[in-house]
Order: sequence, then structure tokens, then C-alpha cells
Amino acid sequence: MTGKFNLFFRVLKKRPDFMLGYIIVFLIIIIAIFAPLFAPFDPIKSDAKNYLKAPQWPYLMGTDATGMDVFSRVLYAPRVDLAIALLGTLLSAVLGVILGAIAGFYDGSGKVAGFGSAFIMRSADVVQAFPVFVFAIAVVAVLGQSIQSLVMAIAFVNAPIYLRLMRSQCLSIRRMRYVEAAYLAGTSDVKIILAHVIPNSIAPLLAQLSVNIGWAILLTSALSFIGAGVEAPTPEWGSMISMGFQNIVTGHWWPSIFPGLALAVTVLGFALVGSSIEILADPVRTRKLLLS
Amino acid sequence: MKIDDLTRRTFLNKSIAMSSMALVPNLMSQAALAGGHAGTMVIAAPATPQSLDCEYDVSLGTFEAVAALYDGLVEFEKMPDASVPTAQREDTAYYADKVGGVNMKGKLAESWELQPDAKRIVFKLREGVMSNWGNELTAEDVKWTWDRKFGLAAIGGFYTKVSGLSRPEDVRVEGKYTISFNLDNPNPLILKIHPNLYNPIYDSTKCKEVATDDDPWAKGFIENDSAGFGPYRLESMARGQQAVFAAREDYWQGKPAIDRIIFKEVPTSASRVQLLQGGAVDIAQYLQPLEIKGLKGVPNVAVETVPASFMIWIELNAKMAPFDNVDIRRAMNYAFPMEDVMSSVYQGLASPLDGCMPNIYPGFIGGSPYSYDPAKAKELLAKAGFSDGFESTLSYNAGDPVQEPIAILYQSALREIGVNLNLEKVPAGSFYNAVSQREKAMIFYVDSPWCPDPGYSMTLYFDSESFVNYSNYVNSEVDGLLKIAAETADEGVRLDAMGKAQEIVMDEAPWTFVAYPNYTMARNSNLNGWTYYTSNNIRFQDFDKS
Repeated sequence: MTGKFNLFFRVLKKRPDFMLGYIIVFLIIIIAIFAPLFAPFDPIKSDAKNYLKAPQWPYLMGTDATGMDVFSRVLYAPRVDLAIALLGTLLSAVLGVILGAIAGFYDGSGKVAGFGSAFIMRSADVVQAFPVFVFAIAVVAVLGQSIQSLVMAIAFVNAPIYLRLMRSQCLSIRRMRYVEAAYLAGTSDVKIILAHVIPNSIAPLLAQLSVNIGWAILLTSALSFIGAGVEAPTPEWGSMISMGFQNIVTGHWWPSIFPGLALAVTVLGFALVGSSIEILADPVRTRKLLLS
Repeated sequence: MKIDDLTRRTFLNKSIAMSSMALVPNLMSQAALAGGHAGTMVIAAPATPQSLDCEYDVSLGTFEAVAALYDGLVEFEKMPDASVPTAQREDTAYYADKVGGVNMKGKLAESWELQPDAKRIVFKLREGVMSNWGNELTAEDVKWTWDRKFGLAAIGGFYTKVSGLSRPEDVRVEGKYTISFNLDNPNPLILKIHPNLYNPIYDSTKCKEVATDDDPWAKGFIENDSAGFGPYRLESMARGQQAVFAAREDYWQGKPAIDRIIFKEVPTSASRVQLLQGGAVDIAQYLQPLEIKGLKGVPNVAVETVPASFMIWIELNAKMAPFDNVDIRRAMNYAFPMEDVMSSVYQGLASPLDGCMPNIYPGFIGGSPYSYDPAKAKELLAKAGFSDGFESTLSYNAGDPVQEPIAILYQSALREIGVNLNLEKVPAGSFYNAVSQREKAMIFYVDSPWCPDPGYSMTLYFDSESFVNYSNYVNSEVDGLLKIAAETADEGVRLDAMGKAQEIVMDEAPWTFVAYPNYTMARNSNLNGWTYYTSNNIRFQDFDKS
């Protein structure tokens, strides 16, 4: 374990930007958990006497058109964005891993299971044939506008990514000697998949998970921006940008620019963490980085 | 501009203007054309007409097109606006000494005679008026126009009903240029209804020519082209992009001052503002209050705002609990933060909705019993058995930028009295359906009755059988008063009945009363001639460039 930690810190030393990613993600999580302690105002309390105040004390990021404090809302927003993105991405990973393991394990088996494997892959093709954003809008439109629908939309659009990743891992792992040995020892297929295939395929999935959380936050915000996501006045970055962008032309830039920046930084943080995991999970790339 | 003159704000404005222009192909070249040729006017509008047939279409832009392509029989006389002397507006006041109590002048009709019992009116049409297809106006055109309303029974069905017409035979051709409307009962709207833009006169010769067995009323043609006696003809129309209108040389009042109108779709109001500031368009329509405020003092831009017939309110569904309880509806009005909405959302460009019909129309009594009073609201909630409050959902239009901030302010105010209000954003495209289905507990609505008459306005929204009574409000006494106003030409009796009806409606509060938003004209300062109409749209023929 110590060796792994050493390796981790050596990689961070070589790539300080990865460190930045971890700091961002750590801070965002802390902010999300302790938002009520940090936020100076109620994030959904409007105050018409103080609408569109420029950044100043006590409104560090100004106020929006209804007098809500932008700083408090920016701090509260990751509670919604992160929760939706995490839940959606985890759900997509679970769904994708299970289906990918089945599809990979039974690929070309010629039995009913083989047909099932092909069916899973073609279904994934159908889902991926649609542009992600359009498909997510369609899912929200069908399920109705709610946080649950957003989670489902994220799960649906991302599941094929994990499915393909898991399948490709599974295709190589199923031919490993230890899998064959387990098979000969009479271990059931379910047990082989759960005990041997999935645990040995998990590393690239973790890297993908982090990148996808970033994208899921972006997707949540994009859906809220066009009015298909979180309902106003729930503090959410996309919804805040949507409420504030019309005011840019009148010189009131702060209601949309600050949540936009918060969104950009968060997505960057998760993308950097994802890249670091991707490198750490690949011994060849890790060695190459350390020797560079 | 010297580089030293380039402040941060002007740089930002110019940059955004340039990017807006990039989003609107060809607008720069059209702007150059508009700037160099006084005969072209470019209008930045939220949407182009979806259809040119007002029998079916009520979309934005349709009525600007209808007003340009068609003329009606009569129109209200104009007078200078009291608040903006450079602007004109219709004189909709009641005149006891004038025919029908209204100050009208002829358009396609040169004279008219109204029977004292208001059961018959005869119009004498102008001779020699030609359509854009070269056909002369005759009484047959007026007859065909009203037969079409009976035949299609769409929006026109409402107009035949409020005009008191029971059957197509009630509209009679008395001579080549004489047409009469004959009613079974007296109807006070028999004259007032004709300036309404829903009643344009069609060139029946052309319409009959293009009609088919499957389409006897030329729906397919009128939807995409025109056959009228108006000042402009349609040159081209690409929905979602632009509609182009060309002035008619042979228009009966003479060719309009501006030769060509480019009616351009620019969906976001911020882009419309920037295009106006940059001089790329002559008129920017439907701007937000903050944008209007920001345009004041901008060189070469004139902004004028006048009281209008617009009203915005929240329908409280009287068929759904708890809004079936009148005390709850009253409480919702006492909890509405009117002052905050007026100052922050409307920036002073609206006045409180203190009545249930436009305050610029004759017969308006005003005097709302409600003002922001959370204690009174709580008291009423307790009286209605909801001392712990309740939960409800307010639906608002994603396409109307003022509705969301109003909803948020209202939500905060209601929280103070224990009412938990959820907000539901409805896409602009499906909003009208959501309103007309009458299944939402609370939903915004913006409208203006296009006939300056208390009976017409009140019947639209509060007659228990009206298709626009979206709050499901039913009161037999109000129905009775509306019936009195619809069946007598005695203005004293009508005003008395409508005054009582307004008092009852205000007391029973089927709406949360919000605002009378002003109408704003944001234009290039070299454009003259703007007239405010109660239909809240512009008529291209009014304008000229200095």
C-alpha cells in the first residue's frame, strides 16, 4: 500500500496539474457538504430591494435579478450538481458494468446467452447513435422534469460507455488461466463474473468514472440552462447561468459569469483527476511519465 | 472612433453587437441597405409569422403581417398620446354624440348607418379600391369574408357570436358597394368590432380562384400568401428567418412612405437590443424592462413607452382545491409582493393590475381591494381552514423573461405565510396548450382584449362559457350582468352592469392580479409616425424616415 502511495505522489510531483485537480475536487466536495456554514445568505430567498447589486460587501458575487445572493447560490449549487452527477454516473457504471460483463463473457458463445450478448451490444449502438444531449433531453421529456429524471438521463446516456469498456476488458480476462481454472473447478458463471472478471477490470472504469462525473455535471447544467433540468430557483449552476445571461447585455455580468466559472473549474478538476487515474492504472504510461 | 474613445463598455457593446450580427446572416448588408436607403425598414422581432391566416393563427408577428396586407371596414380616429406627444394612439373613449358612441373613421367603408336599436348597420364601401391582385373591392368581398368565418367556425366563430350574427344570411349584399349586418337582438359591438385585426376583408375573387373542393375557403392560400386591400403585399416569407413586404403603388390611400419592410426573426431580446444599438435594425420589438432602461440615452435610439391594453395575471384554478375557496384566492392576492415586482422586475414600466380589464378602456372602474398584507393573508388562510398553509405549483412561460423573476418573488413572499410554492417552467411552444387545458393549479397568462369595450373584455375572461375563461371561474350573477351588457345598446345600463361585474370579480379574485405592462417602442430615432394600437402591434404604413 505504501508503495502505491509513493507512486501516486511521484506522479503528482511530475504532473502538478493533477494535484490541482485533486484540490479542486476536494474543495468542491467540502463546499457541497458544508455550504450552509459558508453561505452568508439563504440561497433561495429573494430580496427585491437588493436586485442586481454588483459584487460588493456583503454580496461577494453580487445579487441576481430577484435579489438572491449569487455567492450563496454558487456555494449551494454543487450539492445539486454533484449529487445528480454522482448518482447518475454511478448508476450508469453499475448498469454498464453488469451488462458489459455479460456481453463480454458470453460473446460468440452461440447459445441463447450469446444472442443476449449481441442484443445488449446492438441496444448500446442504438443509444449511442443519438447525440448525447438530444438523447438526454428526450429522456427528461419522457420521464418528466425532476431531479430523478436527470439522474436517469445521465445513467442512460453514459451506460454504453461503461458497457463497452467492461466488455473489452472481459473479452481478454475471460481467457485468463485463473478464469479457466475457476470454470474447471465448477464455479458458476455468475460467481466467475462477480469474483474474477469484474474486480480485475475495474481500474480503467475508475478513470472513466471521474471523467464522466465532470461531463455529467456539464450535462446537468446544460439541461438546466435550456429549461429541461432543475427548476428555478433551486441553486444550480446551469439554471443560474440561464437566469442571468440575458442581463449581460445590460452590463450585469455577475449573475451568470460566477456560476459559469464555478462550473468550468469543477469540470476541469474532475477531468484532471480522471486523467491521473488513467495514467496510474496503466503501468506503461506511469513508467513513461516517471522516466520523462 | 479613435482608440482612445473606446471604453470597456463601448468595446463590450460593439463586440456583442458584432457577434449578434454574425448570428443573423445578411443583416449587416440589409442594415447597410436600410441606412443608405430610406425606403427600407428592418424590424427585429422575436418570431416571424407562423401563418398569415388569423382564422387559426395567433402567433407573434402574424398580426403585424395581417395589418400590412389587409384593411378592415373602419378604424378608430387617432389622437396624440398623453404621455408621449410624438406618438399617436387610438381614441377609444365613449362619445354619446357619435354613431355607436365611438370616434371612428372609414377605411374600406366610406360611410355607415347604424339603426338606433343597434340591430342593423349598413356600410357603404369606397369605390375603386383595388386588391394586391388587381380586383376591385365590392360588397361580395365583405360577404365572403364573413361567410368564411361561419364556414370555418374557428376563431371567426367567436367574432360572429360577439357581433350577434346568428347565420351567414345575416350579412347581406344590398348593392355592389353596400353591405348590411342584420341582427336578431340589439348588439352594442356591431360597429366596434370591425377595427379588430381579426376582421380583415379578403379579395374574394382571388380567394375563390384558388379555392378547391377540398379547401373551399382558400385556407392553404391565405396561410402563405395574401389577397387583401392593405398597403403592402407579401414579397417573400421564410418562417423562422424573415418576411419581406413591399409597398403597393396602387393602395387606395396612396403608396406608404416606406417601400420595403424586412421583418426579421431574432429570438433573443439581448441580440435585438444590440442590433438596434448598432444601427442594424430600425425597430427592436419586445424588449425586457432592464434592456429598455439601458437603451435610454443611447445615441440614435428613441425609446417610448405608453400605457397599454396588456394585462398579466396568474390564473387561480377555481375548480381545483384549495383555489375553489374564495378566501384562499383573496389570501393569494394579499400575499403578492406588488411593489417589489413593479420596481425590480418591471423597472417602473408597468402599473399594478388593479382591475380585471384594461385600465385604458372606457368602463374601467379600478380600485383593487388588495395590497401586500401578509397578516391579512394569514388571517384568510386560517379562516379557510389552512392555517398551516398548503403546497401548490405555479407554472410559467419559459419564453417570457419577466415571469420567472415574478414567480421567484411570489414564492419567497408566500413562504412567509406558510404556502410552499413549487415552480414549473413550461416551454414556450407548449405554454398556450397548458393554459387552455385548464388543468394547472396556478398558471401565468398575458393577454389584451382587442375591442375597447367593457362588455367584450369582461365576457372574454369571466363568462362561465367563454373559451378564454382559463381560471374556470363561475358566478351566475356575473353571467347575468354580462348578458345584460351584451343585449342592450343603452350605454348607461351597460356601464352600470359592467361596473357591478368588475366589483364582484375583484372581490372573488379568480386571478392573482399582477400588472399592466406598458407597450414600448424602441426604434431608430430617424423613424417617425409611431401609433400605439390596442392590439399591441405596429402598422408599417404609419412610419416614415426623416
